[in-house]
Amino acid sequence: MSNATLPAGARDPGYPTERENYLTNSSGILSWMFTLDHKRIGLMYLIGVMSAFAVGGLLALAIRLHLLDPNGWMFSGAEANNIYNQVFTLHGAIMVFLFIIPSIPAALGNFLVPVMLGAKDVGFPRLNLSSFYLWVFGALFFVTALFSSGLDTGWTFYTPYSTTTDTSVILATLGAFILGFSSIFTGLNFIVTINTMRPPGMTWFKMPLFLWATYATSIIQVLATPVLGITLLLLIAERTMHIGIFDPEFNGDPVTYQHFFWFYSHPAVYIMILPAFGIISELISVHSHKHIFGYRFIAYSSIAIALLGFLVWGHHMFTAGMSSLTTIVFSALTFTVSVPSAIKVFNWLATMYKGSISLTTPMCYAISFIFLFTIGGLTGLFLGTLATDLHLHDTYFVVAHFHYVMVGGTLIAFLGGVFHWWPKMVGKLYNETHGRIAALLVFLGFNGTFLPQFVLGSRGMPRRYATYDPEFATLHQLSTFGALLLGIGLLYAFVVLMVSLIKGRRAPANPWGGVTLEWQCTSPPPYYNFERPPVVGDPYDFHNLEWDAENERYIMTEPERKLVPESTPEEVPAHAGGQK
Amino acid sequence: MFPAIESLAMTFPTLLADKNADFWFPIQGSSFAEEVDWVYDLILYISLAFFVPMMAFMVWCLFKYIKARGTKAESQISHHTTLELTWSIGPSVLLVWMFVQGSISFLDMRTPPEGSYDVGVQAFKWGWTMDYGNGTFHPELHIVKDEPTKLSMRSTDVIHSLFVPAFRAKKDIVPGRYNYMWFKPTVASEQISDEALAKLKKQSEGATWDYDKVHTIETEDGERELQVTPEGYTFFDLYCTEYCGKNHSEMQTVVVVHETQAELEAWIKANSSRGDVSMEEWGELLYARRGCSGCHSVDGSKLVGPSFLDVYGSQHALTTGENQLVDENYIRESILAPKAKVVAGYQPVMPSYKGQLSDDDIASIIAYLKSISANAPTQPAGAEAESDEESAE
Repeated sequence: MSNATLPAGARDPGYPTERENYLTNSSGILSWMFTLDHKRIGLMYLIGVMSAFAVGGLLALAIRLHLLDPNGWMFSGAEANNIYNQVFTLHGAIMVFLFIIPSIPAALGNFLVPVMLGAKDVGFPRLNLSSFYLWVFGALFFVTALFSSGLDTGWTFYTPYSTTTDTSVILATLGAFILGFSSIFTGLNFIVTINTMRPPGMTWFKMPLFLWATYATSIIQVLATPVLGITLLLLIAERTMHIGIFDPEFNGDPVTYQHFFWFYSHPAVYIMILPAFGIISELISVHSHKHIFGYRFIAYSSIAIALLGFLVWGHHMFTAGMSSLTTIVFSALTFTVSVPSAIKVFNWLATMYKGSISLTTPMCYAISFIFLFTIGGLTGLFLGTLATDLHLHDTYFVVAHFHYVMVGGTLIAFLGGVFHWWPKMVGKLYNETHGRIAALLVFLGFNGTFLPQFVLGSRGMPRRYATYDPEFATLHQLSTFGALLLGIGLLYAFVVLMVSLIKGRRAPANPWGGVTLEWQCTSPPPYYNFERPPVVGDPYDFHNLEWDAENERYIMTEPERKLVPESTPEEVPAHAGGQK
Repeated sequence: MFPAIESLAMTFPTLLADKNADFWFPIQGSSFAEEVDWVYDLILYISLAFFVPMMAFMVWCLFKYIKARGTKAESQISHHTTLELTWSIGPSVLLVWMFVQGSISFLDMRTPPEGSYDVGVQAFKWGWTMDYGNGTFHPELHIVKDEPTKLSMRSTDVIHSLFVPAFRAKKDIVPGRYNYMWFKPTVASEQISDEALAKLKKQSEGATWDYDKVHTIETEDGERELQVTPEGYTFFDLYCTEYCGKNHSEMQTVVVVHETQAELEAWIKANSSRGDVSMEEWGELLYARRGCSGCHSVDGSKLVGPSFLDVYGSQHALTTGENQLVDENYIRESILAPKAKVVAGYQPVMPSYKGQLSDDDIASIIAYLKSISANAPTQPAGAEAESDEESAE
């Protein structure tokens, strides 16, 4: 490697040697199982959530294939409807509890939070490892539920259906309960890490926006998840002991359950989407090589969303029969959340303006995120508005809306994040051309799947139907073909990543030109993240970044320094106390 | 939401079946429809007014600012407070407008006018029973054009939700409480001619009536594609939209809108009592109409409940382990207090029909069950079945 073309004062950590990085510094299965290294835990989480996603995704394809025909195509026989109900329930439960909620915070967050912060690890490494094993344990409960007598309540476990059905509700809710603890531990760890382990110079407003997003997410995880835990325990108590809270047969009220459930699950939507905002802020800025626009507005809007997110749960129950006043208040509160989300989108677009954009794979995901999330956000307005919600509630319009936010938002951001930090995590570069083709397929497949569903919904097609009226057939078929394309795109993306492990070129420390701290250590990082203390600066100041064309990498140069003036200042007599 | 789709709209109507429907919506069948569609369009156009320029700007940036790797950005501007305040406050004003507009219409939809025509609705797994008063029950909802109609709804088991897309009206039906909704239908159903109906009846003889089937029917204005009820009325779909278990997607019925009050009253009268129909026929009608067919087959196949084929006069093991002869008394008890003696292998999920079926109705159902059972004695059973009717009520 020649440094001939580099300006004087260039800083580049170079490449790790054989034993220097976290993947190779110790070996053997036990060194992984009992690791306390946040990066290894992050990687194990990544494998875990990706497996969960694969299962959830196959179930989704089964749902779409079943709906090819109005009378049901995939499942047949007397139990066809039952099978369909179990498939969509498991699809929802697995995707929400095992994939979307832990995907970004637990997998990417675990890897990135300490490195971006400039810390050696998270605050409580053992708690971190236990949160991973709780996740595995919770996942096992779900799998057991699947193989015992299934689960057919929908992922929301609405009472009194869930207290009366004879499927494995208790196993699944216990699984969700355990996963809740996993989520709380992760959130707690990040709050402590960000509060107490910032190195000198890393002030709150020098933190990358991904850390702001993670911090806001963690607040929700710690405050809201216990409510879910309590709700699920009450549900189990209702099922087994008929305590009479939710079941009208024992003088309970089913709507109480909905209040409890959404008090967690609406904030949980922000557990899913806030970290995605954080990722997109990083991607747009780094791949536009430009300072993020409106840093403080983006940071504050994350916190605002986290707090306002606690006040809007009632918008899931506009048709349930709450009082008119309550309904109207919840509608008004719902609109307040849309403002901070809109601000972020405007800021990202402004960041691209006059930038130097590289259309890399992560950037492809970032722009498709903006496109899809904007649709997801705008269609939320139809559901927040009372008159239109009465018509659209519980139809495919809602299905399309939340898939645009959750899949078009979270999954796309997650993929963008995985591709963005992949070289950092595994030390290998993937094939850009194939990465971009996969991103395009995912984008087209996704829109093909869910755009028709908006029309299905406004035309009156109810959700969670195993069979449907023939007039909806064309739109359903369009949607199914879209889903197949989406499946191909995702598989393609996965293959691109796997091939990179075998055939990929060695990744430099800073392949994209990021200024945040993780790009200042080698790829993959050393066991303790940094060989020497990183220099903390503005995470979006691209002035001192230079492109080293010969080695295809970015390097940081020393910041320009003001020379000490040659003439020494006039001597001031000591007795004057430093004053003239 | 996506502009290109709008242009596709022209090619779609043929694929989308419903007549008089536009691209986004089914036909406007109630006074709410116009209002809801208006609010929907308001939000749609505001959304497009933001979405299209934003995406155009993004694409323009992509064309203009994609640079070779290593090129420095033209600007490193990090914020512009005035601009940021503008795009925070500006859209907020529009949001307030949407909220207010939506809430005004919502209050209309929540306040039934005095003296509305009241229909009772009972939702159960997986069917509907509409209560027209005076002991008249029917799974179809029959109402009058231009007459405000209020539904007083209850559920016997889990949460259901009543949704008529053409009316843009929906409300959950929560067990343990009454929920109300109202609407004013503005489009009447048509009735096909008796000859055309007779022809359809002949075609579907022996099978249950398929509401979803599209028939080609000769009418005064030429051949038309129509879906009709067994009585020859066109209808609006009525769905359950709150997931309620196995046959959630089959929990559908129809709304028939009559032109005049007199026509509705005639229909109610025709459906109110057995008249000169035989008990077996009336029992068969009730079997179809009152939701029995959702859970009990008559061909021997096992659904949610035991099949009715050959059930009368047979022996059944109960969950308690005892054996039970299926006779008049047992059938009657199972209709009025279904959870008292549950057949082994089945869940106690059947709702009680207490107060909903007249004595004549129950006797008719028993007669029907006898008529489809090989185990039924040829001699009519003793009169003791009649003696304890009142005490069971």
